[in-house]
Amino acid sequence: MTMYGMPTTMFLVFVATILAGSLGAIHYTVVHVLLGKPVNENVRKTTTEPRATDGGHNDG
Amino acid sequence: MADVNPYYLGAFVVYLLIVLAIGLWGYRKTSDVMDFWVMGQSMGPTLATWSLVANFVSAVSVIGFIGAVYGGGYSLMTGTILGLMLGVSGLYFVVGRVRQLNHLTLPDIIADLTGRQAARPIAGAVLLANGWLYLIMQLVGASLLVTTITGVPYEYMVWVIGVVFITYTVLGGLVSVAWTDLLQGTIMVAAVLFALGYMVLDLGGFTAINTEFAAMKSANVAPLGAGTYTVIGVVASVVAFFGTIFTEQNMIVRIAATKDVRTAKIHLAASGVILSVFYSALVVLGGATTVALGNAGLSIDNVDNAFPTLITEYVPTSIGVVIILAVMSAILSTTDTRLHSTGITTARDIYSYFRPNASDESQLRISRIATVLFGITATAAAVNPPDTIIGLYNLRAILLTSAFLIPVYTALYLSGINGLAVLASIVVGTVLGLAATFFGGGFGIPATFVGVGSAALVLLVGYYALPDQGSGPPREYAASDD
Repeated sequence: MTMYGMPTTMFLVFVATILAGSLGAIHYTVVHVLLGKPVNENVRKTTTEPRATDGGHNDG
Repeated sequence: MADVNPYYLGAFVVYLLIVLAIGLWGYRKTSDVMDFWVMGQSMGPTLATWSLVANFVSAVSVIGFIGAVYGGGYSLMTGTILGLMLGVSGLYFVVGRVRQLNHLTLPDIIADLTGRQAARPIAGAVLLANGWLYLIMQLVGASLLVTTITGVPYEYMVWVIGVVFITYTVLGGLVSVAWTDLLQGTIMVAAVLFALGYMVLDLGGFTAINTEFAAMKSANVAPLGAGTYTVIGVVASVVAFFGTIFTEQNMIVRIAATKDVRTAKIHLAASGVILSVFYSALVVLGGATTVALGNAGLSIDNVDNAFPTLITEYVPTSIGVVIILAVMSAILSTTDTRLHSTGITTARDIYSYFRPNASDESQLRISRIATVLFGITATAAAVNPPDTIIGLYNLRAILLTSAFLIPVYTALYLSGINGLAVLASIVVGTVLGLAATFFGGGFGIPATFVGVGSAALVLLVGYYALPDQGSGPPREYAASDD
């Protein structure tokens, strides 16, 4: 059995690949658009302030 | 020297001038190191999506994948492309956590999770090796292609392309990279779909293409290449390419550049759809290329020449100009991103570790200097490359996945794991993954499984044997946002 001139199994690999790439879009559409659940925007304040770095001296 | 094609050469020169102009514009928009590194964390959904798409599709994708379909049929979908698409969607499901941590680089995240700043230069060294390998293969692919279609000798073309992409990347950092990506991404997707549409009309439809492709060799349309690939080999390939999406520095930099968590999620969700459709079209274009060249009696000595030959020998020049712009867009947009990432890795992850009080200005200067140095050395290496494009591509996939996939993402979700165990897992995974690659696998086990498996084993032993010293994910961000 063929689909578009290729075996059904090969055609299903194409379908699975497009589905695999679309999982995020499906989730976002269902959860955040259709169900209206807000995205948690609790982001750390800044990345520019000096980081607590030890300069390699107290890693042990 | 082959005859110089004035149409192809002219299109190429105009293209380079446009991206250089965007680089100059980006320079005027860049005032501090945060602008240069992450566009001031102001990237919106449209720019972020197209920038990711453009960065994702590279010389390997367009030239290498069409060549791979020419040589091995559609089985490329089953391992490599399925793995990549699962990786994009997988990253979507953890991107909320990653964006909330608000780190600029992967080593920053690892240092946070382990509580050990030594993680930054260690992880930075692995990422620089990956970035440099990626630069070489992009430059080799770009220069081979442009040499083939314009007739300008390779040794000149590799330096012209190298100097142009170094210049605009060092001028405007991610501002230049992202805006050139927006141009390059849209050209690339539109032109590949256009080329596929042309070939479908020319060859009589999808069914006709696939029927002829199958008639040439039944393995061409078999998911495992009719015995060419084993199930375990395909699974290893899926794991290797799935892992690269999580562990590349440029992906983390882009996530940091998005203006909020919502944008970070949207750009991965939208990119997954665009990329999965794009790659499906690209693979069918590979089949169409094989059929067209076969019908025309055109023989190919190296599979990487399949697509360039289609452009120069089969399609009309007007169609060829569109395709060459797409290919150049694919290549340069990936190259500039990798080059930009090597600059950040050097300044942020390595230089600032040894100079913890370095000012923003000095980090910006080091970032720009590193960008130029890595660009020039990669260009010099590309003149006489150490391996084939596909060989380098597979090597860095195993390197990244073995090093980071298990330890980083386990530590991201499993609080209380010892930081030393995470670092040991990174080092052991890297060493054994690479060793298995160079010795052709370990006892018949694919190199990816050796690297990932050993990293998981070390982490498991460390989890039970060492006391809880790691900071784990910050508790205030530990709850899922879903």
